[in-house]
Amino acid sequence: MDKNKQVTITRKFEFSASHRYWRDEWSAEKNEQVFGRCISTYGHGHNYELHVSVGGQVNPETGMIINLTDLKKEVNVVLEDFDHKFLNLDTPWFRELVPTTENVAAVLFRLIDERLNTYPLLRLERIRLYEKHDLYAEIRRAED
Amino acid sequence: MKLKYYLTRIHDFSAAHRLDSPALDAESNREIYDKCNNDNGHGHDYKLEVTISGQPDEKSGLIWPRAEFDRAINAVLQELDYRHLNREIEYFKKHISTGEEIICYLWQRLAQALPEGMLYHLKLWETNNNYFEFGRDL
Repeated sequence: MDKNKQVTITRKFEFSASHRYWRDEWSAEKNEQVFGRCISTYGHGHNYELHVSVGGQVNPETGMIINLTDLKKEVNVVLEDFDHKFLNLDTPWFRELVPTTENVAAVLFRLIDERLNTYPLLRLERIRLYEKHDLYAEIRRAED
Repeated sequence: MKLKYYLTRIHDFSAAHRLDSPALDAESNREIYDKCNNDNGHGHDYKLEVTISGQPDEKSGLIWPRAEFDRAINAVLQELDYRHLNREIEYFKKHISTGEEIICYLWQRLAQALPEGMLYHLKLWETNNNYFEFGRDL
């Protein structure tokens, strides 16, 4: 196998979810000061856009690093638990963790990375999570 | 597994400018800068992607509170918004207002406006078809 054929591919996904920024142990004033409008009592929502980038060696038989259909399937399994949910209450990950753009992206990175562990030649390189068109978080591995 | 966190906020500003180098004669300026050398200037809707990096605060889950991040960016961009860069902004009386120079100016100003070491990357769109990048990633 040509060791130099290390390629990264990215696929885009969308999901819609609501969330609320709030810490019980803080006063209402402090919550508002740190989180602004994101503290509204019943939450608010976004159409999130997720870019998943994976890297690996090109398989000489298929010419691919992963079948995009497989990538789509694995990521969609993860996103099922996020799509059309209130992240704070309907998922187990944001009881202690505030579902900020940074934290939602980091949780997604770990969950997707776990799903892709069964593909030994593939590595999740980074994800980018757009919360709105003018705000996004990106997560990469610290060892890079 | 340790992760690296980056957060990007996108803002815009609209400004006029003219590319004209004092080191060159009028003919060379016209030749090099072409349409951008137009005597009375021209303008763009600039779009700026500002990326910060750092570990999110354990409690807030934020690398930096959004409102403070926006305030820092706005403070820098408001000075340029709806201005003629060459004529109204001191820095561009001494520097040519190319995308390259504008992004270097923005980096200096934003690095001062944000906590030390937090600014990571800038991407400046001059039109929908060209952008400039500057930062620790390049």
